[in-house]
Amino acid sequence: MPLAMLRQGETACIKEIVGGRTARGKLTDMGFVSGKTVKIHRSSGGPLIVGLGDNRIALGRGMAHKIIVNTGGCEN
Amino acid sequence: MALNKRERKNTELKVALAGNPNSGKTTMFNELTGSRQHVGNWPGVTVEKKTGRAFYQDYSLEVIDLPGTYSLGAYSEDEVVARDFLTAGDYDVVLNIINSANLDRNLYFTVQLLEMGVDLIAVLNMADEAEKKGIKIDKNKLSQMLGTPVVETVASRGRGIDNLLEQTVQNRNLTEASLKIDYGSEVEDLISEVVEMLKQYDFSQQINQRWAAVKLIEHDPEAVKLLEREVGASKAKKIKSLIAERELKAEDDFDNIIIDKKYEFINKIIEESVKRPAADAELENVSDKIDAVVTNKYLGIPIFMAVMWAIFKFTFTLGDPLIGYIETFFEIAGGWIGTQLLEIGVAPLISSFITDGIIGGVGSVLVFIPNIFLLFLAIGVLEDSGYMSRAAYVMDKVMSKLGLHGKSFIPMIVGFGCNVPGVMATRTLDSKRDRIISILINPLMSCSARLPVYVVFAGALFSSHASTVVFSLYIMGIVMAVIMAGIFNKILFKGERSHFVMELPPYRFPTLKGVIIHMWEKVGAFLKKAGTIIFSVVVLIWVLANLPLGVEYASAESFIGQFGQLVAPIFAPLGFGSWQAASSLVFGILAKEVVVGTLGVVYAAGEGGLRTALLANFTPLAAYSFLTMVLLYTPCIATLGAIKSETQSWKWTLITASYLFVLAWITAFVIYQGGMLLGIGV
Repeated sequence: MPLAMLRQGETACIKEIVGGRTARGKLTDMGFVSGKTVKIHRSSGGPLIVGLGDNRIALGRGMAHKIIVNTGGCEN
Repeated sequence: MALNKRERKNTELKVALAGNPNSGKTTMFNELTGSRQHVGNWPGVTVEKKTGRAFYQDYSLEVIDLPGTYSLGAYSEDEVVARDFLTAGDYDVVLNIINSANLDRNLYFTVQLLEMGVDLIAVLNMADEAEKKGIKIDKNKLSQMLGTPVVETVASRGRGIDNLLEQTVQNRNLTEASLKIDYGSEVEDLISEVVEMLKQYDFSQQINQRWAAVKLIEHDPEAVKLLEREVGASKAKKIKSLIAERELKAEDDFDNIIIDKKYEFINKIIEESVKRPAADAELENVSDKIDAVVTNKYLGIPIFMAVMWAIFKFTFTLGDPLIGYIETFFEIAGGWIGTQLLEIGVAPLISSFITDGIIGGVGSVLVFIPNIFLLFLAIGVLEDSGYMSRAAYVMDKVMSKLGLHGKSFIPMIVGFGCNVPGVMATRTLDSKRDRIISILINPLMSCSARLPVYVVFAGALFSSHASTVVFSLYIMGIVMAVIMAGIFNKILFKGERSHFVMELPPYRFPTLKGVIIHMWEKVGAFLKKAGTIIFSVVVLIWVLANLPLGVEYASAESFIGQFGQLVAPIFAPLGFGSWQAASSLVFGILAKEVVVGTLGVVYAAGEGGLRTALLANFTPLAAYSFLTMVLLYTPCIATLGAIKSETQSWKWTLITASYLFVLAWITAFVIYQGGMLLGIGV
């Protein structure tokens, strides 16, 4: 499911990044790649705040829809 | 001679600093060059490359600080600056500044540079933060796997700098082979084929062929453009269709495969060279705790408003008494110098030049040093703490209604200091539409140069409500910016939506050194401005007030008086049709402080100084209307220049200059005529 649909506090594992070249490029540059664990720190209507390792990244809803995840953390 | 020249060349190095935002590049730059260079704790503080000089032993290093970037992809103007510089290759060594506590993401950029064949030193900066988190990095292993030297530093404390300089000069002739990542047989076969095809063309001798092939396979637009330019569209198409044909057969898009392999490579490096304590990821850190409150759905905007109010109060409450002292100083000094000059028999004209022109004009602007000092101190703390990007996050709610996103708010906050860096800060926005709208509304953010005008008028006419009146002007600026952004959003290029991704860096305690450097830099710029442009304009006005010869000083018959009378009718319906007010506004376009400077010169003849003169010539309503005009009208030439160079277009520059004048006129008209009808402040 898309990252945007997770609830605050939930953790997920990135499966793939979809969408256009620019959006995908920007996301992978910031470290959103398959196999990484993400945590939703804030989801309250506006942009999400996502934890990716020690980084905190504000992510527009549109962008968060381009990140496809499996719920629960990554295996390792 | 020839020998000398070579010797000189050997000791001169061109070194570029490149890396992710928030990796400490600018701090490193300051540490290396000793430059007074401001560092902000929000992404993209360096939007233009900056040059400084460092010296080590017999070597002289030209150091170039590039804007922060996450990759060579370059999605925004500031990143393009960095990418173009790095691909052009006009440097000896790149110091790739890496945030040690955030190695995996930072290495993505490092790997890209190494693949391109850039000679670089991997600088593991912020080593102390990594240590604090218990992260241990095996430098030798890392160096071996990357195939490039690795140095550890803590730029903020000057740790490891000498070693870095030593390594830099020792490795100035790095000519190691570029890094090769194994992209898997499918991609590797294609790479070899594309390389073979590229070899037929001369241009490929000057570039890294493997890297070019990878870029083409990734469909990198810049690489495709280069190929088309060098070999022509039809030959380029042959290569492109080969890639497209293979991609159809492949299990995934090639760019996805390449990205995944790069990260796989990085993961392997991390696995073998980095040890980190288990399970600390779950630990909520201090930044998260602060963010839980600061970015709260309901509290976010009120907290931001409270922060703005606190900055404002800080600037005024602390600044006001200091202004009083400086004012008294100038009054006493002016009077004393006046009598001294009279006693030693200096010609009245020269005496008038010094007391009316310089002290009355420049002095009336210099009085505001405390305010400017405090305002920039506050903005400096705000920027360095990391709160700026949270403010942008919180304001996304408002901005998104205008078709912009939260990141567009950062240039607006910068604009409160000065609109020139505000306009430049729009480079971090990746869509052209967002940039143009942000540039168009930036001058509505009330900059520090307008502050003196507000304070003089508010002090003279609204004594008990002075700070409320001034704060209302700041709010009016924001409200107008919001309204205008909404209007531009409707009438300008619709549709084009940009992607909102913004890093929220960890909060940091602003260092005293950093904040003082920032503040001193701004106050220095203000003093320089006072000594150059404000001084020149004030002198010009004083001259115009004395001409034609024999005219009474600063009378309606003087040149400045005649000029003012010519323009005054435009402003008469706004409640300030005097020639003094009109000419101050016209000259204020040169620099907004000049409004006060001009009034200081032309009213200097009167008894009791500028305040008394304003009290006699303005009603409170007319004064508020005048301040509205000062807030909103045509920006100063420096800002217009910045708009021209950022938009590369006279059209947008002229649109900004004129729409703001019209907006200012209409708003002041409504306020003045409305106030007259209601009988407020007349």
